[in-house]
Amino acid sequence: MSHAPARSLTASEVTLPERHPLRKGGLVAAAVGALALVAVLALAAGDPRQALGSYLVAFLYWLSIALGGLFFTLAMLASRAGWCVVVRRLAEHLAGTLWVYALLFVPLAVGAAHLWPWWGGADPAEDPILAGKAGWLDPGFFWVRAAVYLAAWALLGWWFRRRSLAQDASADPGVTRRLQSLAAPAILVYAVTQTFAAFDWIMSLDPHWYSTIFGVYFFAGQAVAIFSVLALLAMALERGAKVEGERRPGPLAGVVTVEHYHDLGKLLFAFVVFWAYIAFSQFMLIWYGNIPEETVWYAHRLEHGWEGATWALAIGHFVLPFFFLLPRGVKRNRATLAAAAVWMLVVHYLDLYWLAMPAIHPEGFRPHVLDLVAWVGVGGLALGALAFALARPALVPVGDPRLPESLSFENM
Amino acid sequence: MKLPKLPAPPWKRAAAPAPDTLLLAEYAGPDGLLAAADRVRRAGWADWDAHSPFPVHGMERAMGLAPSRVPWYVLVLGLGGAAGGMLLQWWVSAEAYPLVVSGKPYFSWPAFVPIMFECGVLGGALGAVAGFLAESRLPRHHHPLFDSARFERASDDRFFLSLGAAGREEGDRALRLLEETGPARIERLGPDGVAEVPAGTAGRRPPAARETDEPPARRDVPPEDAP
Amino acid sequence: MSRAAADIDPVVGRPALVAGEPGFHGVTEAVARPVEWKPPAGWYVAFAISLGMLGMLGVSVAWLFWEGVGIWGNNLPVAWGWPIVNFVFWVGIGHAGTLISAVLFLFRQKWRTSINRAAEAMTLFAVACALTFPTIHTGRPWLDYWMLPVPNQMSMWPQFRSPLMWDVFAVSIYGLVSLLFWYVGLIPDLATMRDRAKTRVRQVAYGLFALGWRGSQRHWWHYEKAYLLLAGLATPLVLSVHSVVSFDFAVSQLPGWHTTIFPPYFVAGAIFSGLAMVITLMVVCRVAFGLTHIITLLHFDRMAKLILLTGTIVGYAYGIEFFIAWFSGNPFEQFAFLNRALGPYAWAYWIMVSCNVISPQVFWLKRARTSIPVLFVVSILVNVGMWFERFVIVVTSLHRDFMPSSWGYFSPTFWDVATLVGSFGLFFTLFCLFVRFLPMVAMSEVKGVLPEAKSHGLPPDQTPEKPERAPAPRPGFAPEPEPTS
Repeated sequence: MSHAPARSLTASEVTLPERHPLRKGGLVAAAVGALALVAVLALAAGDPRQALGSYLVAFLYWLSIALGGLFFTLAMLASRAGWCVVVRRLAEHLAGTLWVYALLFVPLAVGAAHLWPWWGGADPAEDPILAGKAGWLDPGFFWVRAAVYLAAWALLGWWFRRRSLAQDASADPGVTRRLQSLAAPAILVYAVTQTFAAFDWIMSLDPHWYSTIFGVYFFAGQAVAIFSVLALLAMALERGAKVEGERRPGPLAGVVTVEHYHDLGKLLFAFVVFWAYIAFSQFMLIWYGNIPEETVWYAHRLEHGWEGATWALAIGHFVLPFFFLLPRGVKRNRATLAAAAVWMLVVHYLDLYWLAMPAIHPEGFRPHVLDLVAWVGVGGLALGALAFALARPALVPVGDPRLPESLSFENM
Repeated sequence: MKLPKLPAPPWKRAAAPAPDTLLLAEYAGPDGLLAAADRVRRAGWADWDAHSPFPVHGMERAMGLAPSRVPWYVLVLGLGGAAGGMLLQWWVSAEAYPLVVSGKPYFSWPAFVPIMFECGVLGGALGAVAGFLAESRLPRHHHPLFDSARFERASDDRFFLSLGAAGREEGDRALRLLEETGPARIERLGPDGVAEVPAGTAGRRPPAARETDEPPARRDVPPEDAP
Repeated sequence: MSRAAADIDPVVGRPALVAGEPGFHGVTEAVARPVEWKPPAGWYVAFAISLGMLGMLGVSVAWLFWEGVGIWGNNLPVAWGWPIVNFVFWVGIGHAGTLISAVLFLFRQKWRTSINRAAEAMTLFAVACALTFPTIHTGRPWLDYWMLPVPNQMSMWPQFRSPLMWDVFAVSIYGLVSLLFWYVGLIPDLATMRDRAKTRVRQVAYGLFALGWRGSQRHWWHYEKAYLLLAGLATPLVLSVHSVVSFDFAVSQLPGWHTTIFPPYFVAGAIFSGLAMVITLMVVCRVAFGLTHIITLLHFDRMAKLILLTGTIVGYAYGIEFFIAWFSGNPFEQFAFLNRALGPYAWAYWIMVSCNVISPQVFWLKRARTSIPVLFVVSILVNVGMWFERFVIVVTSLHRDFMPSSWGYFSPTFWDVATLVGSFGLFFTLFCLFVRFLPMVAMSEVKGVLPEAKSHGLPPDQTPEKPERAPAPRPGFAPEPEPTS
C-alpha cells in the first residue's frame, strides 16, 4: 500500500478525446452490421429456417453480453463492491445498449413461425402435450412476454446508466445510496425475466423438452461473457490511439491496473467453474434418470456429428480454461488474460450455438456462412450502440464515493 | 512459469551454526516492524525473523520472501486425489466387481464425477495443510524465543523482530542494527538467561529514541550498514 | 435514515467492524477471558439441557439398534422418512459455516472475521449430527463398513453409481476439510491461549495443538497461502456437497424429485438455513460472553441480507419448479405439485412457504435487519421452514407417486421425534463445549481488520533491493515494484 493520498479523477481525464477513432469506428461497425443484416435478409429467402436460426444465435450472443453488463452493474451495486468502480461504468454502458435488442428482436418476430415449431398451434389429438401448453406457447402471449422482457431490460439498463452518469457532475453520494437500494429488487426482475426469456426463446425450440435449471444455465453463460468483455474493453481503452496525428494514452491507462484484471480473471475463472457445474448437473441428472422425454435433447447433441461439438464445448468451455486460468500469474498478465477472454467469447458462441442449432439441424453439425454473417450483423449494430454509449460520457464514474478505494485497490 | 527447486534432503543440508544469542526487539505497531524488517533485510542479516499477532500486509516485500511453495503441494495432491478417486471407481465398477445397475455402463463416468471431485478436494486440502506445515517446519514446540516472558505478547498485541547472533562481535553488530530501527525495547536471550538490554548500550543512539517506535527512515539517519 | 443505520452501511468509507476501538489487546481480552474464567451461569443451564437431549439421542439410538428400524415411522411407500430429512437438514446447516469462512473470505468481506470461527465450529458439529443418520439408519449398523471401499474376503465393493455412496464420500470429506480449515485457522489463537495460560495443564493442552506457533512472519506467509487455497477448495466443496445430497433425490425418476434445478436450489437452501442457525447462536452467545462490540449489528445486517438473497433464490426455485411442472405436460409431475399444495400434507407445504419465502422478506427493511428480536424469531422460523422443506420434498413425492394403489401416508413415531431432538442435543452439547474451551472469535483475524493493523507500507525511498531469493520475473505491463538487482 503506497503513501499516496486518496486519488480522484476528473471526467475529462477519463473521457474519449473528441476525434478518437472509436467514435468513427462505431459508425463503421453499425454500417457493416446493417449491411450484413441486409445480406442475411437476402439469403433468408432461400432458407428461412437457417437464417432465423443463425440470427437467433447471433442475437442471443450479443444480448448475453449486454445482459451480463446489467448483471455486473446490479450485483456490484447491491454488494457495495469497491474494487470494481473503475470498470463498472463500462458495464453500465453495455447495459445501456439493451434498448437495441428490442429493435433487433424484430426479425425474430417476423420469422417466428419458421423458427419455433409450436407457432402454428398443436392438434390435441396428435400432440396432447403440446396442446396442453398452448396457453403459454401462444403467439400473442409470447409477444407480450417478449415485450415485457425487452422493455424491462432496456429500462433497467437505461435508468442505472443515466443515474450513474448524473453522479459524474454532482458527486452526490445519495445517488449511490439510491442505486444500491434499487439494485437488489432489480436483480430479482433481471433473474426472472432472463429465465423466462431463455425458456421462451431457446428451450421452446424443442417444445417437448424442459429443464428447471435452464434459466440458470443461460445466466452462467452471460457471466462468463461479461467478465471476458470487461477485461478486453478495459484493455482496449487503456491503449493509446492516434488522435489528430499524435499518440495519446488511452483514457483508462493508469486507472485500471493489474489488480483489477486479477479480480476480473478470478471472477471469470469462478464462473467458468460455475458454468461447468450447472452444465454438468443438467446433463448428469438427465443421463442418470434416463427418461426418454428428457434424454432426447441430449441424444440430439450426441448423435449425427453433434457429439464433436459437445466434446469441444466440454473441453473448450471448461477443461482448458480451468487449467489455463488457475495460476495467479496468468490472471495478472494482460496478454494471457486477454487470450483467455477471447477464447471464452469464442466458446460462449459455441455454447449458444449448441443450445439452439440442433433444433434447426438435427441431421448434423452444419455451420453455415449465415452464422457468421448474422453474427457480424447483430454484432455490428451492438458495437455501434456501444460506441455511441461510450463516446461522450466519462468511462469511469468519477463522482462515485468509492472511486478512491477502487483506484488504490490491491489484491490479497 | 518456473518450477520450484525441491528442497535438499535432510542429510545434505548443511547444519547452520546455532546462534548463542537471540536479540528480541519489540515494537508497538506494524509500521515499526515493517520498517525494521526492511532495514534488517537490507543489512543482509542471515538469521532473523519477524513476529506478529496477525500477518502484516507488505511484510513479504520487506523481508524479501520468495513465493510460497504451498500451491504446488495443493496442485499435485489435488490432481492426484482426483485421479485416484476416478481410478478407484473405475477399477471397482469395471474390473473388480462389475455390476449392471439400472442399465448403466460399467464405466459410468458421469456418475463417477462427484466422488472424483470430492477426492480431489480432499487431496488439495491435505496438500495445503501438509505444505503449510512442511514449509514452516512446524510443529516445533520448543524454541528459544519461548524463554522470553515478554514474547508472549507476540500472540497478543506486540510486534517483534528476532536476530540470531553467534559470538560476541556478531552480537554487538546485531544490537547496533536493532537499535537503529527504534524499537520500544530489546531483550537478549542467551545461555545465561533473558535480560532486557538498556537503551543506548550500543552507544550509537540517544536514549530518547527508545520511547517511540517510529521507523528510522522518517528521520535523517545515515544507513551505515547498507551493503 | 437513522444514524445507526447510516453507520453500518455508509456510502462513503467503510464502516468500523469492531465497536469502541478496543485495540489488539482489548480484542484478546474480550475473546480469551470468557474461556479462561468460569463461564456465565447460563452456560451451565444450556449445557445441562443439551446433555439431557444428548441422552435422549443415546437412548433412541440404543433402542433403535436393539429393536430395529421398525421403531420409526418409515413404511411403504414412504420408505425414506425423518432420518433422511434430518440428515439433509443438518448437512445444510453446516454449509453456512463454510460460506462464511471460505466464500466470504474470497470475496474479501472483512466482517466475516467476527463470526467465522463460531460458524465453522457450527459446521463441524452440524456435519457430525448429519453423519449420525446414515450411520444409524442402515438396519444392520454393524455392517456399515460395507459402505466403504475396504477390501474384504467377500470380494465385495460399494456400488459407486449410487448417490448414497457419493454422500458417504462427500459428507465425510466435507467434515474432514472443514475440520482442517477450522483447525488451521485456530492455530494462531491456540498460541494466544497457550501464551496466556495460567496453569500448566492449559498451557500444555493449548500448546500441543498450537504446534509451536510463534507468529513468525515467514510462517504467516505460508499460512496465508494455505488459508487462501483452503478457502478456494472449500468454496466448490460447499457447492458440490449439497449438490451431491440433492442428487439423492434428483437422480431418481420420481415426480417432484427428478428436476435439474435441485443442485443450486439445495445449495442456496443450505446456506439459507445455516445462516439462520448462525444468527440464532450468535444472538445468544454475543450477549452471554460480552462480545457485543465484536459481533455487532453490522454483522447481523450482512447476514440478514444474505438470508434474503438465498431465501429469494429458494423462492425462485419453488416458482420455476411449479411452472415447469405445468409446462412439462407430465401429468404425474403436475399432480405432485398440486398434491403438495392441496393434498394431505398441505399444512407442511404452507408452513414451508410462509417460513422460507414470506418471513425473510421482512429483511428488506433495515430496521428488521438490525433488530435482535426480529433476527432471532425469523432465524428460527427459517430453520423450521427448511426442515419442513426437506420433509415436504421427501414425503409428498413418496406417499403418492405413479400408481394410486401404492399411495399411503406417513406419520412420525415418538422415536422419530426423539432422535431429531437428540440430534439437537448433540449439536448444542458440542457447541457448548466449544465456547467453553476455545476462543469463539478468530482473534488474529479480527485484529488483522482493525484500523490500527493497517500498515502504511514502506516509505517511498525504500523499495526492496535485494530479496532473499530473486522472485520469478513478471511478464506483461504489471506496474509492480521490480527488484533492482
